[in-house]
Amino acid sequence: MPISRRALAAIAVTALVLPLSACGSGGDGGGGSTDASGKVEGDITFQTWNLRANFKDYFEGLIADFEKKYPGTHVKWVDQPAEGYPDKISADAAGGTLPDVVNVSPDLVAPLAKAGLAMDLDKAAAKYEKEYLPGAWAGHQVPGLSGTYAFPWYLNTGPLFYNKALFTKAGLDPNKPPKTYDELFTDALQMARKSGGKVATLANVPTIEDFGRYGSSLMNKEGTAFTFNDAKGVELLTKYKQLYDAKALDPQALTATPESTGKKFLTGAVAMNPGSALDLENFKKQAPSLYKNIGITDQITSTGHVNMYVMGLMVNARTKHTPAAVAFAHFVTDAENQMSFAKKVAIFPSTAGSLDDPYFTKEDGTDVTRVRIAAAKSLKTAVNYTPVLFSDQMKTALRNEVAKALQGKESPKAALDNAVKACDQLLQQQG
Amino acid sequence: MATSTVSRTRPPRPAGRPARRPAARVRRQLPTSPWLFAAPGLLITAVFILYPFVSTVINSFTDRRTLIPGHFVGLANFRELLHDDMFWIGLRNSALYVVCTVPALVVLPLLLALLVQKNIPGITFFRSAFYTPVVASIVVVGLIWVWLLDERGLVNSLLEAVGVGRVGFLSDQWLLLFSAMAVTVWKGLGYYMIIYLAALANVPRELHEAAAVDGAGAIRRFLTVTVPAVRSTMVLVAALSSVAAFKVFSEVYLMAGPPGGPAGEDTTLVMLVQRTGTGLTGRVGYASAISLVVFVVTVILMLLVMRADRREDA
Amino acid sequence: MSVAEKTPHTDRVPAPVRRPRFTDEHGRRIRAWELILRYLLLLAVLALTVGPFLWQLSTSLKGPTEDIFSSPPKFLPGHPTLHNYERVSETLPVWDYALNSLKVAAANVVTNCVGSALAGYALARLRYRGRRVATLVFVLAMLVPAESIIIAQFTTMRELGLNNTLVGVVLPGSVAAMNVLLMRNAFLNLPYEIEEAAYVDGANVWQRFLRIALPSVKGTLAVVAIFAFMGAWDDFLWPLIVLSDPSKFTLTIGLNYLHGTFANDERLVAAGTIIAVAPLIVLFACLQRYFFRGVGEGAVKG
Repeated sequence: MPISRRALAAIAVTALVLPLSACGSGGDGGGGSTDASGKVEGDITFQTWNLRANFKDYFEGLIADFEKKYPGTHVKWVDQPAEGYPDKISADAAGGTLPDVVNVSPDLVAPLAKAGLAMDLDKAAAKYEKEYLPGAWAGHQVPGLSGTYAFPWYLNTGPLFYNKALFTKAGLDPNKPPKTYDELFTDALQMARKSGGKVATLANVPTIEDFGRYGSSLMNKEGTAFTFNDAKGVELLTKYKQLYDAKALDPQALTATPESTGKKFLTGAVAMNPGSALDLENFKKQAPSLYKNIGITDQITSTGHVNMYVMGLMVNARTKHTPAAVAFAHFVTDAENQMSFAKKVAIFPSTAGSLDDPYFTKEDGTDVTRVRIAAAKSLKTAVNYTPVLFSDQMKTALRNEVAKALQGKESPKAALDNAVKACDQLLQQQG
Repeated sequence: MATSTVSRTRPPRPAGRPARRPAARVRRQLPTSPWLFAAPGLLITAVFILYPFVSTVINSFTDRRTLIPGHFVGLANFRELLHDDMFWIGLRNSALYVVCTVPALVVLPLLLALLVQKNIPGITFFRSAFYTPVVASIVVVGLIWVWLLDERGLVNSLLEAVGVGRVGFLSDQWLLLFSAMAVTVWKGLGYYMIIYLAALANVPRELHEAAAVDGAGAIRRFLTVTVPAVRSTMVLVAALSSVAAFKVFSEVYLMAGPPGGPAGEDTTLVMLVQRTGTGLTGRVGYASAISLVVFVVTVILMLLVMRADRREDA
Repeated sequence: MSVAEKTPHTDRVPAPVRRPRFTDEHGRRIRAWELILRYLLLLAVLALTVGPFLWQLSTSLKGPTEDIFSSPPKFLPGHPTLHNYERVSETLPVWDYALNSLKVAAANVVTNCVGSALAGYALARLRYRGRRVATLVFVLAMLVPAESIIIAQFTTMRELGLNNTLVGVVLPGSVAAMNVLLMRNAFLNLPYEIEEAAYVDGANVWQRFLRIALPSVKGTLAVVAIFAFMGAWDDFLWPLIVLSDPSKFTLTIGLNYLHGTFANDERLVAAGTIIAVAPLIVLFACLQRYFFRGVGEGAVKG
């Protein structure tokens, strides 16, 4: 093929130059100062994550309010489905088509910040910092970088639900749910013994946040190496192994998904399940008979801090309308708008003082309110245990090593050592 | 491949019609027209398949990540592959997939084709119905089967009703892999059945009649007449299905979930490409190296099958 | 899948006179017991291939109060209801999504039929330097694992300014290599004589292609059309990555909103899958006659 060889060489050269250059520059190059002091105007795009189906009216109202407040702005709202969100963002980031304001979680922000695609709000919006809970504002800081890379948006945490009927059947006091890890493990073993291995108490293998809540220090202070293979970590995994062997941890936990464990709890195959006030509504609708038997207790933690999930709004560092993008991200996350969002769905505002609102402090006798008040109270000291730098690949590595330990293929210590090694390597490769 | 298939299974040329060599005359044409004809297809393929693939090849020698341009690292990615347990698990599963699904997909659709070959009343309905799983998207098929094989799904309800008890199709490492294979076979039956139907239509009836006159039974006729006549089609089916099996992604991904079953033991190579290479922290360079291995193995599979085909020609 | 350097097709024999297909190959009457056995087997396979879809349909028609986990299972919904379909369409603009899918699928059918017919004809019938390379290009393109090139495809699409457009969704698959090779084989299977006669009559290459070759491979075109429609209708990851604007979403992406929004109610997921799969089954039912004829032409043989 005399022609093709020359053609191939040409292709090879272009290919060598193109993909490498296209990636780094992100295309748009130009725009994006961190100076947000100019006039708030221009067209910006706002991307949320799976919120359209249920909250269309809320967001359309929100945007209309913003456009009214700042004439000359126009906000285009796009919402992405739950699945494939990281793929979508990475394609946009690589292609330079990231929207101006993007709904992110801390683990999504970290790589974007490292690639210089997330605006440092300590520079562009430092004056707003005091409006938010300090823990929430710090939630989008990335070890190894100075700066804060997203406005805190909504928070979530939740209690532990348990099935009182199953507790009674196993000879446990349905009004005395476990409060500590030791009680949890003892009760779980009794539940398994009494039900002949038919009813498990837990349905999920421990994740990084479980290790954190149990008291393992997950990472060193510098954020350069993982340490969840410490004594506490090994202890937790050893306990889980005992539970797994006794079928107190569901035998199918190794392949469980949040949906499947929810279903198991609904059908009475599992006695306890973490959740939120949102789930309470679902139980009421989908399993009225279970609802009567549902007990609610606090998240179990050895550190005194419960776990919380943080959502944020990132401003694209390359936006052409910095003032408008920053203003809009702030607008969506300000106390007033977060409060009205929180009243629509069981999430919690990350703005300072909002959690003292009567909505989050005043009992009205319903379970929903009780759960909400308890969660709001615990949120004041809650921690997002999942390290910002813990990538999807690391989650998979940990999950697989935990599975090996539970299956007895490796000792808990060896499994965690391997997981730490793998995660450290991935961390270094992330640069 | 098909060219030879057809010419070999056709009856000998009637004596009165000599083979023509039409090329000599049809060949004369405007010199540019062939390229005009092929241009749209070539252009699309070059821009959207080959060019990205060439960059994949180049990336496989770099440590590029999703958002960070990489540096040339030589063969480091490939050296790392050798020590990556997950790579070997993926290779094992993808190879196992070939070994298990290919024989089933070579034999079962042939039997099915024989079953629907005869023009008995209603047969068109059956043929179309058997093709339905091919038409449905793999995502839908995955959802349907996850729901069927669920711990509380139809299959387990039936098993319990007949006293076998519930089986953890979707939680055991091996059952998961075999369930995914069963879905692959289920979805492929109709597709390969059609290929066989086309080939069977070319089997000269004289052969069957002669064998029947000789008093050969149905099984014997199948082995001595049908199988040799569709043999090259079987090779073709083996080629198509083994390449597809080695590149399997959706079935296993949908049934075992993104982590690939318990402890990732059900991960296939393409799942590994997806897992390591996508997302914001994706290791594009390393994933490209795995892709390259997948590509090379499929090319080898193709060559092996073509060689088997050629040997028959001789 | 056919490879260029196989048996040179120039010495191929002309196709034999077509005889009706799928007849009893012995020309004998079929015995009664054999007929019964055949129907029993056919019904068994039918249950296996179509049963899962019917079970999904049945699940989607069951009301919120009906137990869908019962054992032994209940095959028919006690009180069939379209409630689940209503809920899906209330929450999602299903019809807008379906319209987008339809546009994408229709465009994909047209481009694939035109592009692969042209390219297939060039590979099968025309002689020129580089023909083998061209064939090889399509064969190799089929072997590339799609998962590994998607970001590079997106970057290219962005450089062309076609991201977030339906054109961008269609373009990469607009002339699929598999379809080109299918068409090539179909043209190879045509006897040369007809075209030669036209050549003698002074028809040029375009006329021969349009008036003689193309009408003879209608069946294969139907196969390509179905493959193209299926491929475009079913694709998930690529449209998700190319499109940003929800008003342009296709059905597969749109239906993904069901995930999570309903805490995975099996009945709604079932309704969603039926919405996704029904149009394909209807389309296939309408086209199946042409489709099986295309198969008869040897189209699917690779």
